[in-house]
Amino acid sequence: MKKIFISILTFTVAIGFAQEKKQDSINTYKKRVLETIEVDFLTSYYSQDGDNAATSGGIGSEELTDVTATFIVAIPLNDDDVLTIDTGVSAYTSASSSNIDPFDNDIADPFQASSGASSGDVWTNLTGSYSHSSDDRNNIWSAKLSVSSEHDYFSLGFGGSYTKLFNEKNTEINLNASAYLDTWKPLYPSELTTSNPGKYGTITGNLNYNPIFSEFDSKNRNSYTVGFGVSQILSKSIQGSLMLDYVNQQGLLSTPFHRINFNDIEDSFIDNFQLADAIEKLPDSRSKIAIGGRLNFYINDIFVVRTYYRYYNDDWGINSHTASIEVPIKITDKFTLYPSYRYYKQTEADYFAPHEQHASSNEFYTSDFDLSKYTANQYGFGITYTDIFTKTRIWKFGLKSIDLKYNQYERNTGLKSDIITAGFKFIMD
Amino acid sequence: MIKKLVLLGLVTCFLTSCVVVKGYEKVKINDPDMSLSDKSSHRLETTFQSYREASAGANGGKTGGGCGCN
Repeated sequence: MKKIFISILTFTVAIGFAQEKKQDSINTYKKRVLETIEVDFLTSYYSQDGDNAATSGGIGSEELTDVTATFIVAIPLNDDDVLTIDTGVSAYTSASSSNIDPFDNDIADPFQASSGASSGDVWTNLTGSYSHSSDDRNNIWSAKLSVSSEHDYFSLGFGGSYTKLFNEKNTEINLNASAYLDTWKPLYPSELTTSNPGKYGTITGNLNYNPIFSEFDSKNRNSYTVGFGVSQILSKSIQGSLMLDYVNQQGLLSTPFHRINFNDIEDSFIDNFQLADAIEKLPDSRSKIAIGGRLNFYINDIFVVRTYYRYYNDDWGINSHTASIEVPIKITDKFTLYPSYRYYKQTEADYFAPHEQHASSNEFYTSDFDLSKYTANQYGFGITYTDIFTKTRIWKFGLKSIDLKYNQYERNTGLKSDIITAGFKFIMD
Repeated sequence: MIKKLVLLGLVTCFLTSCVVVKGYEKVKINDPDMSLSDKSSHRLETTFQSYREASAGANGGKTGGGCGCN
């Protein structure tokens, strides 16, 4: 695969440089990359429910709500350079993660949310990126640095990219790389972190409760990504792109609070809650490769068709196909409608089995249905308001556009979710 | 499957040598809805997909890190 990747890259670069016109180096009028400060405010409300919570071994409530707010501020530093500051907060409540400690309730039950500290968390993120464009705007370099934090997880990320345009800006190639150096502060199922689980209630079923458990030695998870993309104008009304990503992950790839219940160990309960026989155990490395493509068609002044396809493969045995279509419909010069459909299908990981289907002799095991075989359909509808004259003003900023979108997502495993997103773009005077 | 995708990539590369749409002919291509990248507001949607689905890559992916394990 590496040879193919290098061949495509070399071939494309060679063609591109052969096509490059000398006029690119001639001094011409230089338009600022970004005319003025732009501010994006994005927000979303996400809600899901299902019956296969990994925290309780593949059964139990997956109810989760999440509210996100993000500000993205792009600041032109001069004609060529742009600094972008991106900061976000995401607050969630989760029945599933609340059952890391299910014994706060009067009756412990995998289908009931617990009231413990793990029932909610806040994710915060700060990302700074800097981009520089050459005088002819045919070369763009960028670098980024990000930090994010949750109660049990910390992530430090950095990366960079290089983009080359040629063929009179009809062709664009992009190389990018990034690394995330993450650290867990592991939370384990509460019955495993005490020598006396009976303190949470009366144990029923197998009274000789003796789980397989030891804390993870390594708490780091590192992810490295390299990507290559090429985009091409194919005619006056069609353009497309191809993207190739390779991702390698090392370290603690298991989620420490995901319970496992084996089929060859007798079950133990407190109230209605089945106690963990073990926690999820997955290999400490994973390699992924994904190839995606987009093709957009300008049909007429009213309709545009946007299509996308992606194939994914990894060494945990998962293959997936994603296909989506969106048809923007311009109903007036200010309003555009965005109906969309997305299809997703994946095979299961080699290490996945549902609740009570793993044997304790297995080397690796997970009952996380995010790693199961399933298909998913997503239906979306959005509307955008655009005002190029930015008549509506807040302080020194004019409102350029508002995006609203609703998506409904359904898996054939029973998980359903809804997400509402809103985006507001402002530009400074 | 991989061979087909590589072939598709090579065909696309060849196309770079035969198509030149001049700047003044790019009115339709420059329409915001023809952009080959997603709108910024789309990324919150992509984030939840990258958390709930076992595959990521070649789709913009998550921004800013995080385990997405809830």
